[in-house]
Amino acid sequence: MNRRTFAGFTWPSVFVMSALMVFPLVTTIYLSFHRIFLRDLGEREWIGLGNYTDVLSDPAFWDAFRLTILYVVIVVPVHMVLGLGLATLLDRVKRGRGIYLAAMLLPFVVTPVVGTLLVRDLFDRGGLISWLWDVVTDDPFVITSGNVKWVIIVHGIWAITPFAVITFFAGLQTLPEERVEAASIDGAGFWATQRFVVLPHLRSLTIFVLLITIMDAYRVFDSSFVFGQSVGQAAHTLQVYNFEVALTGQIGRVGKGNAIAVITIIGIFVVLIPFLRKSYKEQIEER
Amino acid sequence: MKQFRLAASRFGIHATLFVTIVLTSVPFYWAAQNSIKFTRDTIKSTPTFWGFSVTADPYRKFWFDNQEQNMWQVGLFFVVLIASVATLALVRKRFITTWPFTLAIVAAFWIALTVFPKIFDMNREFDFFVNSIFVTVFTVIISISIGLLAGYGLARYSGLSGAVILIVALGFRALPRTAFVLPYFFVAKELGILDSRLVIVLALVAINQPFTIWMLRSFFMEIPREIEEAAMMDGATRLQAFRMVIIPIMWPGIIATSLFTMLLAYNEFLFVRVLAVTEWTLPVAISALTGGDSAGTVTEAAAASVSITLPIIIVILIFQKHLVKGLGAGAVKG
Repeated sequence: MNRRTFAGFTWPSVFVMSALMVFPLVTTIYLSFHRIFLRDLGEREWIGLGNYTDVLSDPAFWDAFRLTILYVVIVVPVHMVLGLGLATLLDRVKRGRGIYLAAMLLPFVVTPVVGTLLVRDLFDRGGLISWLWDVVTDDPFVITSGNVKWVIIVHGIWAITPFAVITFFAGLQTLPEERVEAASIDGAGFWATQRFVVLPHLRSLTIFVLLITIMDAYRVFDSSFVFGQSVGQAAHTLQVYNFEVALTGQIGRVGKGNAIAVITIIGIFVVLIPFLRKSYKEQIEER
Repeated sequence: MKQFRLAASRFGIHATLFVTIVLTSVPFYWAAQNSIKFTRDTIKSTPTFWGFSVTADPYRKFWFDNQEQNMWQVGLFFVVLIASVATLALVRKRFITTWPFTLAIVAAFWIALTVFPKIFDMNREFDFFVNSIFVTVFTVIISISIGLLAGYGLARYSGLSGAVILIVALGFRALPRTAFVLPYFFVAKELGILDSRLVIVLALVAINQPFTIWMLRSFFMEIPREIEEAAMMDGATRLQAFRMVIIPIMWPGIIATSLFTMLLAYNEFLFVRVLAVTEWTLPVAISALTGGDSAGTVTEAAAASVSITLPIIIVILIFQKHLVKGLGAGAVKG
C-alpha cells in the first residue's frame, strides 16, 4: 500500500483523534497554568505553577494518590495470578466450560457503577457479607471511611480478574499441544511445563494484560465515586479527587483540576514509557 | 492409584472453578433477590433467603410513573416481543438471504421502543434508557466505521508513520478521562451543544478510537494479503476490494470489536455525568438514585441494577464466543 492510499484510509480516524484527543489534551495543559473557575469560564489569569504547588501541598491529593497506588499495586498483581491460575484450570476442563466462562464474564461486562452497587449492597447493613461477618465475629460489617479502601480493592479484583482469566484462557488455547507433549516426554512435571513451556508462550500476552490493567486500575473512577457517595473523601482515588475539585461545589476550581489531570498523566507515563518504547521498536521491526 | 489421583485432581479443578463462579455471580443473585422484596425485608440484620413476600414494587417505582401499573400487562408485552423476535430469528436460519430478517428483528425492537411508552405511563428513567440505546448504537456505528478504515490501512501499510500513529494511539489509551473532559465541557458549552447526546457520542468515539484501531488491525493482519491482491488483479480498486472482499470475511472481528465498544458506551459514567445535565444515560440515573446512605432505596436500586444489566447479559450470551475470541485476538498480536 502506498502512502497516499494509507492516508486515504486513516485520515478520518486520525482527524477524530487529533480533534478530540490532542486538542483537548493541549487545552488541559494550557489551562492548568491559569486561575479559572467553573462559574465564569471566560475569565482566566496566568498564574504559572501556582496550581501545581497548590495541588502538591493539598493533603487530600496525597490521600487520593496513596489510595490509587495501593489499589494498583494490590489489584494488578493479585488479579494476574488469579487470572493465570483460573485460566489454567479452565483449560483443563471440557465439561461445563461454557457455563464457567459465561458466569466469569459477568463482573467484566456489568456496568461498573452497577457492579459497585451490587458489591456495596453485600457489604452494607442487611447484606450477605455483612451478615456472615456478624455470624463469625458477632459484629455486622459496616463500610466506614477506615475500611472502605479494602472494599474498593476487593471490588477491583472481583471486577477485573475475569478479563485476565479470559485473555489467558484464549492464549492457552493457541498453545500447540505438541509442545506440552514434548515437555512431558522429556520428563517435565506440571510446574516445569508451566515454567518452561506455558509461561514463555504467554509472555507477550502477560505484558498486554499488565499494560491494559495498569492503565485501567490507575484511572479507576466509578467504584471510588460510588463508595464516595456513602463514606466521602476516604474513598476518593486520584480521578474522583480531580472530579470533585474541578466540577463540584460552588466554585469548581477548573485550573487546579487541570493541574491534577496533568500530574496524573505524568504519573502514568513514568510507568508506561518503557512499554511504549518497546512496542515502538517491535512495530519498527515488523516492517 | 493413578486413576484415583486423576479423579481427585479433576474434582479439585471443578470445585475451584465452581467456587469462582459462585463468587462472580453472588452479587447478581443478591440484587435479583433484593429487587423483588419489600424494603422491610432487606434491612433486617438476618437476611431472609426464602419465604419472603414477593413484589414488583421496586421495578414499578423505578420505571413507571403510574404506581398502580399492572405488571402482568408489562410482562405480556415482553412475552409478545420476545416471541416475535425469536420466531424471526428461527425463520431467518432457513433462508439464504438473511438480511430482511435481521432488518425485521431490528424493526421489532424499534417498534417496541416507540410503542412501549405510548401504552404505559413511563418515568423519565425510560428516556434515559432510550438515551443509553441511542448513545450506544451511534458510538458503535461511527467508531467501527472509521476504525475499520484506519485498522485496514495500519495493517497493510509498512511506512514509519503507521508505527507512529499506533504508538501515539496506545499512549492515548492510557490517559485518564479527566485529561479530556474539561475541554469537552468548555467547547460544548461554547457551541451550545452541552447536554446533548451528540457530545457524548463524539467523546466516546474519540476515547475509544485507539482501542478500536488496535483491535481491528490485529484482525486485519490475520487476513492474507493475497486475497485482496487477487481481487485487484481482476480489476477491482483498493476500495472495492476492501468493501467487497475483505469486509465480508471480517465479520467476526467487527462483531468482537463492536461488543467491546458497546460495553464501553453503555457503561460510561464519567463523561455522561459531566457532559449531560438532564439527558442522562442509565449509569448516571442509577448513581443519582443511590446517592447517600439511603436504605430505603436498596430495593429500587436493585431493580434498576437488574434492569440495566439484563440487556447486556442477553447480548453477551448471544455473542459470547466472539467476545472470548476478541480478547484472544487483541492479545496475540498486542
